[in-house]
Amino acid sequence: MIAAFHAPDIYYAGLSPVIALTVAICVVLLTAVFQPLRRTAPALTLIALATTAGLLIWQGGEEIDLVSGALRLDDLAIAISLIAVLSAAFAVLLSIREPAVEQAGSGEYHALLLGSVLGMALLAQAQNLVSLFVAIETLSIPLYILCATDLRRERSLEAGLKYLIIGSLGSATLLYGLAFLYGGSGSTDFAGIAAGIGQKGVTGDPLVLIGIALAAVGLAFKTSIAPFHQWTPDVYQGAPTPITGFMAVATKAAAFAVFVRFFDVALISEASEWQPALAVLAAASIVIGNVGALGQSSLKRLLGYSGIAQAGYILGGLVVASEAGVNALVFYLVAYAFMNFAAFAVVVARERETIYGDDIRAVQGLGAERPLLAWPLTISMLGLAGLPATAGFIGKLYLIEALVEGDYTWLAVFIAVGTMISLAYYLRVVAAMWMRPGGETSAAAPAIVGASPEADPIDPEAGRRMYLVAPALLAAAAVVIFGVIPQPLVEFAEHAGASLF
Amino acid sequence: MAIEWYVVLSSLIFAVGAMGILTRRSPIVILLCLELMLNAGNLALIAFSRMVGNQEGQVFALVVMVVAACEVVIGLGIIVAIFRRKLPLDVDELRELQG
Repeated sequence: MIAAFHAPDIYYAGLSPVIALTVAICVVLLTAVFQPLRRTAPALTLIALATTAGLLIWQGGEEIDLVSGALRLDDLAIAISLIAVLSAAFAVLLSIREPAVEQAGSGEYHALLLGSVLGMALLAQAQNLVSLFVAIETLSIPLYILCATDLRRERSLEAGLKYLIIGSLGSATLLYGLAFLYGGSGSTDFAGIAAGIGQKGVTGDPLVLIGIALAAVGLAFKTSIAPFHQWTPDVYQGAPTPITGFMAVATKAAAFAVFVRFFDVALISEASEWQPALAVLAAASIVIGNVGALGQSSLKRLLGYSGIAQAGYILGGLVVASEAGVNALVFYLVAYAFMNFAAFAVVVARERETIYGDDIRAVQGLGAERPLLAWPLTISMLGLAGLPATAGFIGKLYLIEALVEGDYTWLAVFIAVGTMISLAYYLRVVAAMWMRPGGETSAAAPAIVGASPEADPIDPEAGRRMYLVAPALLAAAAVVIFGVIPQPLVEFAEHAGASLF
Repeated sequence: MAIEWYVVLSSLIFAVGAMGILTRRSPIVILLCLELMLNAGNLALIAFSRMVGNQEGQVFALVVMVVAACEVVIGLGIIVAIFRRKLPLDVDELRELQG
């Protein structure tokens, strides 16, 4: 006799974005096997990302627990997943004709990219320690490989190995922290942890405190918050540039999503314990990132250090543990995404067009030579510096407002001071573009930087190719539009913040 | 037997792993040390699972084992790629990128 069997109820609509990504990984990977389909991988990836974005928008406004409470689909998860999907789409466009793609195989490269996006979508939804850990590894492991895909370049392999070691160190620390939190609260569920800690009625249980500290360190590794940032400039410089752009934006967004959900849901009752600690980390990031960027001559390293400083600003939104803080954090993540897309698209174009690689000399004279590339980079730099009429300015304004409301005025002062320091290096890039003569005229400088035998062939038309110019222009336009008319983006961020509190 | 012994043992293993990553120079030994750190987490999870009296920690530990295997596979893959390029297998010698 067959016993009665009740299949579990599966809410397929809520899982549909994740399912779409999983199917896409298999399909894109299979194109690598069939010779005639090899060239279709980028197009298939873009279609899959568009489908996922469509499904995410369709699920907008949903608030539901999935898979026995392991995942939670809400507006915060949807907002962060959309950022991840969008940045993957940008990375696919920037990867067209990238040497790393030829090295790794187009199907494999794009399947790994989709795998990382899947991890991010899961991470943004995770509300259980197990799903948190699995999602963070699903996000990271494909990225370790993607960093090392440019097999001919020693730097790429070195970046892959460094990222793997540091990333795994972060994951192991995070895991140890999660184990202690489980021991302290008796549950792996975020709600269960909050209840378990609340039941004891005391703040300051040593198991819980050790767990919070170690978990914060692990997540700080992933979001490149000082003093756990040392890998960032090295890995950003060594990885293929489209992947650097993807990592800079999407990893940060996804890791901050889980940072927010973990600390503002599971550990909210211990807020008075972790708020000062995270505030100090944020202040340290702002100082170290901005000071470190001052002396950089490589644009990718400069953007890496600037990313550390920006992570410090964004962490400010979490420190206050309020709805206004989460709103500001999501707003800033979107603004940060567009500013970085514009910058990285230009860096990719100049890397292929000049002999200087990612050195700042590659953009000298860009204003006269390629105005369509110079404007996006200018807008991006001014936006990252937080000048008015850009989304970066509005984002900083919201962060500072949230910090002042949450009695962290001193951290708001750090943001203001950091912004002033950052002008020095952002404006250096702008000055190089508009005030220096072009690279050809100053060719007296020996062509050493990019001209090693490993250097990629130069494509003198790269700065005119639409798949590089169009993303740069679109992203820059978004930075200006959301800087002048921030209302749509504010509403987007407010939906995300409201889903937690 | 008190839970403290297990927690102390796991923290010792964790510290050995962390020290190894910071001081050893061969990437293969570093991967071994990463395994030590992850398994320290596993030991803590299983001990806490016993203490708390539910199975969630044990399930978590099983999942971690799978993830740890994935990480090592990728790590060894990258090390083989470096070896094929005839680059030195020494994390101190790999310093084309300077922070």
